[in-house]
This record gives sequence, structure tokens and C-alpha cells, in this order.
Amino acid sequence: MKLKRAYRTLLRLYPEDYKAMFAAEMWNTFEKAAEERRREEGLALVRFAFAELIGLMTGAAAEWIAKLTTDSSVRGRRPPDVRMMRPPGVPQQLWFAGACMSLGQGSGPDEVAEAENRIETLIARMVHAIANHDFPGARSYSYQEREAREDLRRLRQKHNLDE
Amino acid sequence: MRHVVQQHDAPLTEPVFLILTSLADQPRHGYALLQDIQQISNGRVRLSTGTLYGALRRLLEDRWIERFEQDDTSREKQAYRLTPEGRKQLHVELARMRQLTRAAAARLRTREA
Repeated sequence: MKLKRAYRTLLRLYPEDYKAMFAAEMWNTFEKAAEERRREEGLALVRFAFAELIGLMTGAAAEWIAKLTTDSSVRGRRPPDVRMMRPPGVPQQLWFAGACMSLGQGSGPDEVAEAENRIETLIARMVHAIANHDFPGARSYSYQEREAREDLRRLRQKHNLDE
Repeated sequence: MRHVVQQHDAPLTEPVFLILTSLADQPRHGYALLQDIQQISNGRVRLSTGTLYGALRRLLEDRWIERFEQDDTSREKQAYRLTPEGRKQLHVELARMRQLTRAAAARLRTREA
């Protein structure tokens, strides 16, 4: 248990982009390897723990050095922010309508249509976030979508429109 | 000056050589790589996860290996396979090692004769 906690703690030392790519896999591999060592006799587990923890510390240092000394345009060490990207299948007009709504520019008789567009946009973004394993982003879009639905309900009441 | 590319004519490090060798016959995920490398090296080399994934990251960047889509692939269990460039680099390294072992064997024979 202490070994697993120490491993998780040291894993946090790695750069964010590296963690996004490998942390889950590393943890899974470590758990399987630890299970195997536990079944071995003698000091196998102690040796394994020592090697793993030292390996993580040197690995994290090496990754930070690589990140700081490598040209990001060549190595692509900065992953794109998927929240800023237009998801595939979402028309440009619809995407920017959502952006305008979020800036508070939606008003006038078209505001109901724009609110509906915004909900569709948020759903598309949420689906895209889920497809890219960006679960915090997906949760954020889910909250925004709920709020957008509430706005739409109020607008429909204001304009005496059916639900 | 910023370092941007690996020197491809330099000898491979042992972990990199063993990873490429392990992937030469079939794609493998992280834990299978650890087990196979231990077997290839007759139990002499046991890579830590930090060393393994550090090497995998560099090999992915250099496009010597690639992530392999499998039906049961998840973020926790990702398979890797050699690219044609990785296979070529492994051949180059094998040729280099063959030349060295031939030279060493010839020197030993001369000394012992």
C-alpha cells in the first residue's frame, strides 16, 4: 500500500503532457509487475520497489529536461486545447454562434434560435471531449448545456413559445 | 543550441535495443514488453516502468514505434508496434553488433593461436 502511494506521488512529478499520455498505462503496468514480484521469494519486492522509485525520479527529471530543452514545435510537447477546437461535423457558423452567445452578444428576435444552436454546439463539444478522453472538459460542457437549456426555457416563456 | 533530434547513427541504448527486439515479431503492451525483455535477456534485464515508458516516449517521437489500435485497447493497456523506420534501425544496429563481434572474435583467435 505504501509502495503504491509512493508510486502515485512520484508519478505526479512528471510533466503534464507526459502524464496525459502515459500515467494510466504506467500505473497499470506497475500494478501487474508488483503483483508478480509479490509472488516471488526473498527480497524481490524490495529490489523491485527500489528500482521503480529510483526509475520514476530519474525518469521525471529526464522528462522535464527533455521538455525544457526541446523545441516544442518539433517535438509537439504542448498538446492542443481541445476546448478551443471546432469538433468534426460541426459547421463553422454554428461553432461561432456558440462562441458569440458565450460572449453575451445574443439578443433580439433570433435569441431563441441562437440559444438552441448553443445547446447543439455544447452537445457536440461534449461528445468531442468524451471521444478525446477529456472528461473534465466534458463535465464542464454538460453543466453549460444544462444552463443553456434553462436559458432557452426562460426565453421561450418570455416569447410565449411552446416547449 | 536546442536539442531537437536524436543522433540516429549512434549505438542504441540497451533498453531501446531490447524494446525494438521485443516488438520485432509482434505488437505488445507495456507489461508484456517488461516480461518479454526479461526473457530475451535471460533474466538479466528488468526494466522499471520509468525507464520503459521514457524509452517508449522517445521511440514514439522518433516514429520508430507506433501505438497500435486493438479492439480491447484502453488508455491503461496500449499496444505498440515497430514502424518500418524502427525495423530499419534495428537491422542497422544488428549489422553494427555483428561487425563488432566478428572483429572481437578475430582478435581473440589471433591471441589464442
